[in-house]
Amino acid sequence: MPVNTINGEPYALDVQGVGRRFGEFWAIEDVTLKVRPGERRAILGPNGAGKTTLFNVITGDFPASSGTIRMFGLDVTTAPVEKRIAHGLRRTYQHALLFDGLTVAETLFLAVCGVAGGWRKILPLRRDDENRDRAIELAHRAGLGDQIDHQVELLSHGQRRQLEIGLALAEDPTLLLLDEPAAGLSPAERPKLAELLRTLPDSVAVVLIEHDMDIALQTSQSVTVLHNGRMLAEGTPQDVMKDADVHRVYVGGSHGH
Amino acid sequence: MRATVFLLPLALLPIFANEFWLVHIFSRALILGIIALSLTFLATYLGVVSFAQATMAGIAGYVLAYFGPNTVDVGHELPFAAAIPIALLMSVLSGAVVGLIARRSQGIYAIMITLAIAVAFFYFTRQNYSFFNGWTGFSGLRSPQIGDTALRTPVVFYLLCLGVAALLLAMVSGFVRSPMGLTIQAVRDARRRVQAIGIPLTTPIVSAYAFAGFIAGSGGILNVWYQERISSFSVGLGPIVDILTISVIGGLRHPSGAFIGAVAFVLLDTFAIDFVDRERFNTLIGVTLLIIVLLAPRGLRGLWDDTVARFGNARDGGENTGKSQQST
Repeated sequence: MPVNTINGEPYALDVQGVGRRFGEFWAIEDVTLKVRPGERRAILGPNGAGKTTLFNVITGDFPASSGTIRMFGLDVTTAPVEKRIAHGLRRTYQHALLFDGLTVAETLFLAVCGVAGGWRKILPLRRDDENRDRAIELAHRAGLGDQIDHQVELLSHGQRRQLEIGLALAEDPTLLLLDEPAAGLSPAERPKLAELLRTLPDSVAVVLIEHDMDIALQTSQSVTVLHNGRMLAEGTPQDVMKDADVHRVYVGGSHGH
Repeated sequence: MRATVFLLPLALLPIFANEFWLVHIFSRALILGIIALSLTFLATYLGVVSFAQATMAGIAGYVLAYFGPNTVDVGHELPFAAAIPIALLMSVLSGAVVGLIARRSQGIYAIMITLAIAVAFFYFTRQNYSFFNGWTGFSGLRSPQIGDTALRTPVVFYLLCLGVAALLLAMVSGFVRSPMGLTIQAVRDARRRVQAIGIPLTTPIVSAYAFAGFIAGSGGILNVWYQERISSFSVGLGPIVDILTISVIGGLRHPSGAFIGAVAFVLLDTFAIDFVDRERFNTLIGVTLLIIVLLAPRGLRGLWDDTVARFGNARDGGENTGKSQQST
């Protein structure tokens, strides 16, 4: 019988034996992951390990082929993406997936409306709209206060990553899935991202896929390593880094950190 | 202010233009422009090319013919105050249904689905006599009277078409700045991301198609009053391709492109026959449209924007050059 609570509280994320099959190929298989409220968890693994597929299954982009997914005790295995978002889940994408034709303020406004409601209104957006104020506050929080009226298409790569995180922070998330948020950032931009992640509220559980081991280890309390779609190791960063299997398939390979 | 600059000369056109130009060139261009606007709206803001816009216009036209005065003894005559809203409602509903069916499709698949719906409706009108009067359709359709003035009077009809076109452009402009309008544009840019911020896709997509149905239906009603008849030809492949052609040559990146394309199309369609014989005028139209598409990939509206930008740059450059010359 799996343990579904910790100290009487449900896990923020409770993934039990989850798999995802594409035809005959299992991209992930029998993955079990328990993340406490407020925990920082890093997911590591070489390319093709199934990290992003796991995220896609948790968010509902891909339905799970096997297993169950619970968020704060609620079974969301078959729930549509929107229901999971309403329950506090947010994510970023490995390759920034943004609304290029909108401005930063409009993009964040929709992120606020997506949870708080108000996106169905058909009259022109008023400048004193409460959700717009919250979007502007969010832009400042994501470090995009000076780019509020800039079109997203014209943002730099680093600013696009910041906007991705801004979208994920809309309306007090309780579970954040960050898919390589530092990918493509310059060395100067990385500390800013690490700082942004460190300042997230303690109540937010964060699951992070990150190739930059410095960011992953600085910001995470625990680590899960995937390999060929299966779990290879789990534990504190120190324990996992000492694991012989992990060292063989991941750390001992191309990674130089 | 900018709209007034364009609208005022058009409103004053009846002072200078004769009946032929008012009705058969400008009113017709405005009507086709309105129907094309519904396609341009979907293409610009939802990123979907729909072949069903002439169908939505035709549905409004058929409903008005059925519930309005006609000479074929089919239908139930209602006052225009009831028939017009019913016609618009049906075009909105038809748009919503098309949106619901095509909601998961993009690109070539959306084109195929909307084309299939349009062709199915065309054959449905030909085969169903109790509502559509088969191949013959409806004739003798009249426009409403306001006092002693018939709306079909050339000047009044032109001003009506102009007013409806201006109103619809203003509605598009306002709608795309609304939260729903922004959501529709977000769907165009990144569907998965829209879901990932908690917004389901069906509602914005169906809303966009329904709004496009309203625009097309408005054009369909005016078209019935202009033609004074409607038949399955009005919803056949010819009008479907005409509307697509108008939208493309006008430019799919701005709503006003639909009207620019419609003027070009109507001028060609009307006067090409004066330059070549009756057998070949369609070839001239085709070649001219091909040249427009090749020379202006973003349509005539895009060509206009590029020209204005080039003119502006040249002027700024000239001023800068002048200043630099003064400083040296």
